[in-house]
Amino acid sequence: MSAGLSDALKVRITGLSGRYPRKQAALLPVLHAVQEELGCVTVEAERDVAALLGIKPIQVREAVTFYTMFRRTPVGRYHLQVCDNLSCGLRGSGTVLARLCRKLGIAPGQTTPDGKFTLTTVECLGNCENAPCLMVNFDYHGNIDPDALDRILDGLA
Amino acid sequence: MVKLLIDGRPVETLEGATILKAAQDAGIAIPHFCYHEAFPPEGSCRVCLVEIEGMPKLDLACSTVVREGQKIRTTGDRVLQARRAVLEFLLTEHPLDCPICDKAGECKLQDYCLDAGLTVNAFSEIREKREKKLVIADKLLLDRERCILCSRCVRFLRQVTGTRELGLFERGVGTQIDLYEGQPVANNYSGNLVDICPVGAITDTDFRFKTRPWFLEARPTICPLCSRGCSMWADYHPGFPRVAGSARIYRFRPRLNPEVNGHWICDVGRYGAMALETDRLSELRWVKGPSHAELSWDQTMDMLAAKLRGLKTGGAMDRAAIVLNSRLTSEELFLAKKIFHEDLGAGRIVFADPTDGAADDLLLRADRTPNRQAASRLGFSYQGDLAAALRGASFVWIFGANREALEPVRRLSAALQAVPTKVLSAPQSTGLEPFMDFVLPTASVFEKAGSFANGDGWDQEFLPVHPPCGNARAEEGLLIDLGRALGFDPEFYAALDGPRAVARALRSAHPQFGGGR
Amino acid sequence: MSRDTRLLPVDFETADLRRLAVYEARGGYSAARDALTGKSPAGIMDEVKAASLRGRGGAGFPAGLKWSFIPKGDEKPKYLCVNADEGEPGTFKDKYILGHNPHLLIEGIILACYAVGIHAAYIYIRGEYEMIARRLEEAIAEAAAAGCLGRQAFGTEFALDVFVHRGAGAYVCGEETALLESLEGKRGWPRLKPPFPAVVGLFQCPTVINNVETLANLPVIVRDGAAAFINRGKPKDGGARLFGVSGAVIRPGLYELPVGTKLREIIFSHAGGLRPGRSLQAVIPGGMSSPVLKADEIDVAMDFDSLAAAGSMLGSAGIIVIDDEASLIGVLEKIASFYARESCGQCTPCRLGTSWMAKTVERLAAGEGRPAELDGLARIASNIKGRTLCPLGDAAAMPIQALLSKFRPELEAEIGRAAKGRG
Repeated sequence: MSAGLSDALKVRITGLSGRYPRKQAALLPVLHAVQEELGCVTVEAERDVAALLGIKPIQVREAVTFYTMFRRTPVGRYHLQVCDNLSCGLRGSGTVLARLCRKLGIAPGQTTPDGKFTLTTVECLGNCENAPCLMVNFDYHGNIDPDALDRILDGLA
Repeated sequence: MVKLLIDGRPVETLEGATILKAAQDAGIAIPHFCYHEAFPPEGSCRVCLVEIEGMPKLDLACSTVVREGQKIRTTGDRVLQARRAVLEFLLTEHPLDCPICDKAGECKLQDYCLDAGLTVNAFSEIREKREKKLVIADKLLLDRERCILCSRCVRFLRQVTGTRELGLFERGVGTQIDLYEGQPVANNYSGNLVDICPVGAITDTDFRFKTRPWFLEARPTICPLCSRGCSMWADYHPGFPRVAGSARIYRFRPRLNPEVNGHWICDVGRYGAMALETDRLSELRWVKGPSHAELSWDQTMDMLAAKLRGLKTGGAMDRAAIVLNSRLTSEELFLAKKIFHEDLGAGRIVFADPTDGAADDLLLRADRTPNRQAASRLGFSYQGDLAAALRGASFVWIFGANREALEPVRRLSAALQAVPTKVLSAPQSTGLEPFMDFVLPTASVFEKAGSFANGDGWDQEFLPVHPPCGNARAEEGLLIDLGRALGFDPEFYAALDGPRAVARALRSAHPQFGGGR
Repeated sequence: MSRDTRLLPVDFETADLRRLAVYEARGGYSAARDALTGKSPAGIMDEVKAASLRGRGGAGFPAGLKWSFIPKGDEKPKYLCVNADEGEPGTFKDKYILGHNPHLLIEGIILACYAVGIHAAYIYIRGEYEMIARRLEEAIAEAAAAGCLGRQAFGTEFALDVFVHRGAGAYVCGEETALLESLEGKRGWPRLKPPFPAVVGLFQCPTVINNVETLANLPVIVRDGAAAFINRGKPKDGGARLFGVSGAVIRPGLYELPVGTKLREIIFSHAGGLRPGRSLQAVIPGGMSSPVLKADEIDVAMDFDSLAAAGSMLGSAGIIVIDDEASLIGVLEKIASFYARESCGQCTPCRLGTSWMAKTVERLAAGEGRPAELDGLARIASNIKGRTLCPLGDAAAMPIQALLSKFRPELEAEIGRAAKGRG
């Protein structure tokens, strides 16, 4: 019942694990690749990854639940991650977050009904010189003011 | 050797010893949760912090190696304040469950808090809500509110069984121990998790809500369920005076024995041992005789001795079937050989033992009997064709210890019916009672004194945990009386006049016995 | 060839420094080539020790000294882990080196590995820097293709492979032993020390862990010598640093300045000072884990020893400027909730103490508490400090203790107002 990973991904995983003397060390890069393809780390994916890296599925889940970037359920097409830390807070991240909640009609942690946007708060993204900062999937957007916010959202198809 | 001072006391210990070990050897107990002798130090609970003179911060006793000339304080304001702080942190998320928690009375958190005088909880925020009754194994429950995340259970399943059924998930204060996809802890050592959990997070459903540890006395014993012979503690409740039947063993726990079982026992032994105390036979029965209330052991032994003497004189002993078992003590097997083989010349001495089971790669052995080594040392062949023994037998005496081992006998009930005199002596009901002429209740392993020779050839002595139930008695006493009543070798039996007399006789006749552990 | 001693060119955006050809044209890889073809590893190590290069990740441990802890003659392979986790709030400097000048880092890695005898290096880069990780991989591939890496680096017998390894969102993995656990494919739970990573590190082998910026300084040290490096900074704290300024300033950004530059100068001369009409309330000098400084304490020199003497720390040189518009209880809340969210959960005081502090501060900020409860908060912090398995506990406790001790009246007033506001 292996409805998990594509053959191409399995090849990629084997390649990644070859960079380390122990295959388990490839787990985090492998999980990033899995999540890229599947949108999240499913139970089947845990099983397949475990088999490829010579560990048990429970060890995969222990890692998945420890690191905030890994998800067990999918997010919307665009994952809007607002930095809520100090430097961004000092430059209006609260306003950005409130505005996003109003515009999208959801609270942090939720996804819009059409599945397009998921909104979360995250800790420092390392973009403090461009605070307040928003990460859309992996794209950094800095110096967010209300107009910038509208432009960004409109630009997301 | 390294010399140092702990709390002003000079201590000498081996190089490489930790502060915790050195202190322990000197009789100074340092509180600890996550440390366990069987594993390398973890260093996460932080309750074992002690003061080393000259060091700016407090250090962990569990992992810091002692150095020559160190001055260490395990008490004093600084250490006690740090200890209280750690305990206070644990209490912020720990529920006040003591009145309903099985661990109360043997809970390390409770003990340390009491010692530290911690009676007021300063936490006034909202606690994390967690699952309180997660079934993690056939007999185990996990209460996540009580869990202090010492991770002993996770490390046990990682390092001892390698099965990893429990894992650590999430992060920070949300960290929790859980199964994977509901797959339960399903290995032969799951019961040890209850013992190593320092609080009442993992509890045993067999023991749940049954009693309180302060009523129990830990008495040493040996497990009789395989040829490893693990050392165990039997936690025995001596009973309440006005409550009939309240005295019993409530549970078994491992007893540390570095040479035999280390720190653990297996579930087959732990739970199988409890099963040895159920369905007890407790009264003598002579089917053809008057009501059993009047029958005594003396009368019974006289009757049986007369019967056996008659058979011997009549030349029928070669067709007498004696069914022994390898759960009898070495002393009892010695007496059985003397009486049935040497004195009476019984022609059909066989063993009814459980069949071999699967061994695991830790403790459990394939041989599911505790004393087969003794049987072979005494020259018994422990195989034996039960059917051949019973067919046309003139007499049968079944020493039944193992119910499942007697299953073949049950199937031979037709042959059994044809035997003129049938005696069963057993501690538990076997299903054969309806076919027997005499039913003699015997002591369970935990009601006897004796020794077992384990699979490695080591003799392990044990004492009774508690007195026999009802009218039951150990086979050793029963056999001595029988021997005396038979009258064949009065000097031999006269010499068996004290508690260890049989053991002494055994060793002088068979010097291989006595390599004790 | 340009003798620019700066780590980063002034013009970040347009310089194509990521391209090997551009990097080499500016003198790049000359230090590595000269070292591998003509200098001894011991010589490199001595030069770095003499340069007083202190770790740029936060702890400030002298780099050359750390290298010397690697045992000689051990048969096991050795590893270099580059700490590119950059999780300390207020810190964004390594992002620029990684993204705009990756060959500088690669050259630094080559020099470090050559000095210590390491043939495999892993760059542990925080998961969020996804595009930067791709750029880094490209640069490594370019360098390998050009023979700067691989079996025979620069045509010598020295072999070196460099790999990029992405993290996945855990501040604790910036702590060196948690980084090792994470690199091994496990949860980022720090390890007990001793043993130290220099002896038992990655895959149980001797390991050096260095921050990105630390390594980025090696080419300039090896090329220009220790003395020149020290002269740029201070005797026990050589070179220049990438100071990051964020918060309530006109020009937040990265400023490459000599170690020992005054904090006041960085904020007011380089970062443009405060907005019109605003006044300075507080400054965090070295990333969120460093104790806060009051407005009258900013004449301090930005080097490790001066800041330690002032009761704070240089840390990651992430300067966060707080003006009078900010609510201090809000600042306290951000700090407390960060450490509670990032605590790995392994040890008792941090797991339970950071959560307790966060819950308390949240309640106080929401107006559901009394000012006197700040005593309890200070007590929790002091019970965490010095008692935890890794420095994250101290990092949580110290900034909170500093805010409480320096701004107690202001915090009490804010808490009181919030409570009144709730009626």
